[in-house]
Amino acid sequence: MAVYLTAAAASLVLARRPRLCRVAAFGGAILGSALVVALAVSVLAGGPVSGRLGAHAASGMTFGYAVTPLAAWFLLVLGLVAVPVALYSIGYLAHAVPGAKTAMVGASFNVLLAAVALVFAAADVVTFLFAWEVMTLSTAALVATEHEIRSTRRAAYMYLVMSHVGTGALLAGFLVLASASGSLSFEAVLAGNVVSGWWRDALFVLFFLGFGVKAGVIPLHVWLPEAHPAAPSSISALMSAVLIKAGIYGLFRVCAFGLGVPDVNWGLAVMAVGALSAILGVLYALAQSDVKRLLAYSTIENAGIILLGLGAGMTASALGHRELAAIGIAASLFHVLNHALFKGLLFLSAGSVVMATGTRHIEELGGLIRGMPWTALFFLVGALAVSGLPPLNGFASEWLTFQALLMGFASLPGVTRMSFPLAGALLAMTSALVAACFVKAFGTAFLAFPRGRAATDAHESPAVMLVPQGLLAALCIGVGLFPGAVLRTIGTVMVSLPGLRLPRDAPQATFTMAPGPAGFDHVVPLALGLTLMAGLLGAALLAAARAARRVPTWGCGGELGAATEYTGTAFSKPLMMIFKTVLRPTREVEALADVSPYFPREVRYRTAIEPVFERYLYGPLTSGVLGAANRLKVVQAGSLHAYLAYVLVLGVGLLIWLGGKR
Amino acid sequence: MTEGALAAIGLAVLQAAGMLALAPLLRGLIKKMKAALQTRQGPPLLQVYYDLAKWLRKEPVRSDTASWLYVAGPRMYFATSVAATTLVPVWMAAAPLEAAGGVLALVGILALGRFFLATAALDTGSPFGGMGASREMTIAALAEPALMLGLFTAALSAGSLNLGALVRGLLDRGATFHPSDILALAGLFIVVIAETGRVPVDNPATHLELTMIHEAMVLEYSGPDLALVEWASAVKELLYLTLLADLFAPIGLATSASPELILLAVPIWASKIFLLAVAVTLVESTNAKLRLFRVPDLMAVSLGLGFLALAIRFL
Repeated sequence: MAVYLTAAAASLVLARRPRLCRVAAFGGAILGSALVVALAVSVLAGGPVSGRLGAHAASGMTFGYAVTPLAAWFLLVLGLVAVPVALYSIGYLAHAVPGAKTAMVGASFNVLLAAVALVFAAADVVTFLFAWEVMTLSTAALVATEHEIRSTRRAAYMYLVMSHVGTGALLAGFLVLASASGSLSFEAVLAGNVVSGWWRDALFVLFFLGFGVKAGVIPLHVWLPEAHPAAPSSISALMSAVLIKAGIYGLFRVCAFGLGVPDVNWGLAVMAVGALSAILGVLYALAQSDVKRLLAYSTIENAGIILLGLGAGMTASALGHRELAAIGIAASLFHVLNHALFKGLLFLSAGSVVMATGTRHIEELGGLIRGMPWTALFFLVGALAVSGLPPLNGFASEWLTFQALLMGFASLPGVTRMSFPLAGALLAMTSALVAACFVKAFGTAFLAFPRGRAATDAHESPAVMLVPQGLLAALCIGVGLFPGAVLRTIGTVMVSLPGLRLPRDAPQATFTMAPGPAGFDHVVPLALGLTLMAGLLGAALLAAARAARRVPTWGCGGELGAATEYTGTAFSKPLMMIFKTVLRPTREVEALADVSPYFPREVRYRTAIEPVFERYLYGPLTSGVLGAANRLKVVQAGSLHAYLAYVLVLGVGLLIWLGGKR
Repeated sequence: MTEGALAAIGLAVLQAAGMLALAPLLRGLIKKMKAALQTRQGPPLLQVYYDLAKWLRKEPVRSDTASWLYVAGPRMYFATSVAATTLVPVWMAAAPLEAAGGVLALVGILALGRFFLATAALDTGSPFGGMGASREMTIAALAEPALMLGLFTAALSAGSLNLGALVRGLLDRGATFHPSDILALAGLFIVVIAETGRVPVDNPATHLELTMIHEAMVLEYSGPDLALVEWASAVKELLYLTLLADLFAPIGLATSASPELILLAVPIWASKIFLLAVAVTLVESTNAKLRLFRVPDLMAVSLGLGFLALAIRFL
């Protein structure tokens, strides 16, 4: 904490000397994040740590922190991603952000990290909400880094509005809890027995809304695809990998484990929202040609997968299946880590591309694998991981999510359980669509012919930006190959949570994953990897006979080039057509011809998808709020006498009411 | 390394080699039967072997636009198909490497191969590659949920997602028949047709620009690269048919590693595959290829059948 704040201060002090300032700010961030990792590891190995930040004698309030194992897990994720991202930022910000702004970005970066760490570690409501607000505001400042651009300002504004609606819901929820329990400390507020009956359901909805906004789940996601691309790439990586997880942490801490044993309907609701976010997130991602927007929508999809596991766990927990609940929760926590790793990696690689070419639009790129071989390799690793392909880390957590869903089906009664395999089928579809989406993104940006000067002249990023990507890629592969080791750590988190029990006879070896009762299923990614290597060796031996001849691609008599190669838009076109009821694509084709319509001089093609949620949910909502505000104008007359009259009426009313109560 | 692990690896190598050796025969057989239905003589039964041998000897011609991924694509595709064979019980009621993973690992491995081949197809800059890759990934995305649902139904009724344990569970239960099996089989058969690129989803015999899917994706490959792709596709096809046989008629699989039982299991397996091959041929010969945008309807039917099977079975 202190390191972060010192680094933030140093960044501001050194504002005039960008170079030194970058090193100080991000060096400090690296140091701080390394400390966070150390703290998290010590908590996971030893036990919870807690302490006091300060106390207010007059009101008897104390502000404290308590690093529970659950918080430690999220801190670990934060630290693991923040170290490479900070290192990357030293190189990236030298090019992406003008010198004068460096200090601001460096300071906000550190404040953000400190705030998120405090969100995870807060032990009472006041500290939590304070950290939550600081987190929101520093992110908004970072999103608005390039505030000269109109769309960036809009993105930051939208983020602020959505976040505050969420915070409002949280504030209301915590106030109810605090007044019911008579304390502000999390221990008392989230003991689980504070409220009961329909109050509990109402609180669940409030908190789900509040945290859901931050987690970026559909339909609360509208800020996310605007804010992620607007921020500098390393910040986007941090937002997607860590900031979203603050919302997820809240869902865990309050919705799943803070309001007592969850209701079955809560679990099913979380699962439904998860499935919706996953499938719609990836469909919207497919429609994008801005690489960072695409990644932002993919973040929504992954938040959905995290919620699928969480929902399955909550449902099982509600029905008293404690081991089953543990599997769902483990899958969810595992995906929190994995998503942070591969999405951090993908955003960093995308940042390198943006820096080298000056565009985020993949239709203007192409052929980058020649100029930027390392970035291409790292992006490919991230793409494989996000697609849930073995033996990378995305596969491990999606595998566990499938287990939670299927075992949920096998052990739950009634019609409820039919929703589990349905969710499983949707998850299968999601991961296949993600694969399609990232084949498109990688293929269009990195392969075949360059589509313009920017792509032709692109050159590799400096080592200070490649090393962090390499680190994250290595983590993706390592976690994928040794999932058992990660699951053991998650095990210590789960023992600390109420209503869960570790599956008894699940072998927890370093290489293996098995969800529970022996014989149901297990997987050894390392063995899969070795089998693949053996297969590759066989293929290499079979095909090694002759050296290859290189010739231009056959163009059926014409010449192939940037104009004839397949575009990303064309690639996703069939899926756009198939899902047209959801996406509602529109297109405009305009052919300018001189002589004959058969020989157009120029063809203009414009395509767009309809923003369903923005138009049909938020449109009426916004106009409703504005309308209500307009009508309220009558009350806000601006006349002092009227206000005095309000005060008088209210005072007398209160007196009568209180007198009546006595 | 323990003796058990060594034995498993030995069996895995044997089974992979066996599948590699027999897969081209299945292709040749289907071609021959198709020709017979069209009252043609057709190519020799062993033509696929001749082709593979010829391609493997030839010099590969590669596009100068392409990168290392273009070379990696067929190799990865081949490796994933071979690795997948070790996860499926073929002649014994156990998969050689069933300790490495179950149904989900199998589907994941095959998806990995598809990812690489589709990516590599975009590498040459030829629009055909892009078209094929786009369509292949589209159909895969539609087939995947139906495939999973079909596999889930079988897995849940046997109580395991591991193919070895699953097949043993089915065998232990004996020859009981449940009406939901018909629905599940029909649903999965449609998926297998789609995943192996057969009519009415794709036409393996066409090289007409607008209709090909898988063929468009691998159009630029030649020589040993092409051999790897074709061989791997053949293995994948045999693997899918074996999977159908395993899930719906596991009778005849050798329950122990005794040579007599295995010798008995091989002809039983072969006759099951033959029956399925006849079914594939009949479907392919009596149907016209669907328009690309009609394929989702077919997949929806398959998904619906899978869901119905699950509902009938467990509600």
